[in-house]
Amino acid sequence: MGSSGYQIPDDLLYTKEHEWAKETNGTVRIGITDYAAKTLNDVVYVTLPKSGDSVTQFKTLGTVESIKAVSELFSPLSGTITTVNEELTSHPEMVNKSPYHEGWIAELKPSDRSEWRNLLTAKDYAEHLATLK
Amino acid sequence: MPKTTQLFGYHKDHAKLTEFAGYEMPLWYTTTTEEHMAVRTKAGLFDVSHMGRLLVTGDGTQEYLEKQFPTKVGPQPAGKALYTLLLNERAGIVDDLVALKISDTEFILVVNAANASADIENMSEHLPSGVQLVDITGKTAMIALQGPHAQEVLQPLTPLPLRELKRLRCAETEVLGEAAVVSRSGYTGEDGFEIIVRDATVERPENALRVWEQLSKSSAPCGLAARDTLRLEAGLLLHGSDMDQGTNPFEVGLQWLLTSGKTGYVGSEAIELLRMSAIPLARRGVVLDRGIPRHGFDVLDASDTSVGTITSGTFSPVLRKGIGLCRVKAELSAPGGKVAVSVRGSSEEARLTTPPFYDETVYGWKRHAQP
Repeated sequence: MGSSGYQIPDDLLYTKEHEWAKETNGTVRIGITDYAAKTLNDVVYVTLPKSGDSVTQFKTLGTVESIKAVSELFSPLSGTITTVNEELTSHPEMVNKSPYHEGWIAELKPSDRSEWRNLLTAKDYAEHLATLK
Repeated sequence: MPKTTQLFGYHKDHAKLTEFAGYEMPLWYTTTTEEHMAVRTKAGLFDVSHMGRLLVTGDGTQEYLEKQFPTKVGPQPAGKALYTLLLNERAGIVDDLVALKISDTEFILVVNAANASADIENMSEHLPSGVQLVDITGKTAMIALQGPHAQEVLQPLTPLPLRELKRLRCAETEVLGEAAVVSRSGYTGEDGFEIIVRDATVERPENALRVWEQLSKSSAPCGLAARDTLRLEAGLLLHGSDMDQGTNPFEVGLQWLLTSGKTGYVGSEAIELLRMSAIPLARRGVVLDRGIPRHGFDVLDASDTSVGTITSGTFSPVLRKGIGLCRVKAELSAPGGKVAVSVRGSSEEARLTTPPFYDETVYGWKRHAQP
């Protein structure tokens, strides 16, 4: 638990728009942060990308819709989508219940290693959240 | 700086806050779905102290209000809660409100927070000498307790026999020893009560907080997000979204509030003209299998031509689908009809309905009256 009251796992990298990224064996899993999930409150629809879609760092990849509003989902990195979390189609509430685990959004094969430096560490992201209050 | 209600001391420790109509209000305490379903199946608690409360007193009160409302006010016994409208001269809807008749010479009007000052301005224009119109919003607090368990939650706190208080009736009584007006009313579609705590200011909020905290032990505090999904699921209109000064009662389905034969109220001449004309638009509900309609989205016919507009939309926690209220061309408005809603460029199939959106044998205040 970060000092902000939101979970910010140390082993992930983040965007200012509240997405996270985690690399395992060359594949990057992405999702939205605990802060984003709690701010949206009740996620009721997730529009997922398709396997094979090309995505660009910080460009739209899908949408997350809560009872109150629609938010765009931005890709933390450029690359090709390899897998999407189909479970979210029938259980969008997983994004709220478990934003870092069962509520992951998609996996991608990154195309540009140099883009990692544009992401925030857990510490930087916590500082970024503090500025939003 | 936004204003706060008497119950802000509770909200700031328990809720995600939002600004609404100039007030810092609770948006949710837990989740919208949880709070919504608490009201549909048990009981939920809302701070509605931000809503305007206007006290009208004096010998000519009843005659004066008769000239303000398109709905017949009297002769009614004290203890009636009357849902009605304020119109402008063109029959546009200035506000919708509830008029609580405390006595022949005392009414409390409960109006929308965002419209309170416009209402006062409009009503003051016609105020005769001998009738006083006073804004008591800051001197009183108002709490809505809604849901099928509302009566059993409130009864231990008041000597008023609630079983005898019928829907849209009100009475002066005490709640936890505090002077209060209790009405059997609300805007969620469920049975329930609205409680005006007579003596509670932002500087001295203790009386209101005591009532709220006691009620919150056996009901779920609910924020504005759930208040919106509940009223929409019940098919109840929100002023400023589903209607405004530019819409008349006929095109939003509120003609049942116009007492037939009544004349001499503000807007009555325009209403009589409208009665004799064809109304091009009708209010309907829409249900989508995919996507959520939002305010301003287009309603489309089979050839993707716009035939109407969504005036408010949300996700229904009961149906687990997107629902909305719309105004559509009257000739295409048959309930059950198939239309589409343009959701951010994608045309989503939708079905026209007559709200409420839920099954009235399972949810809503009428359920117990069903065979």
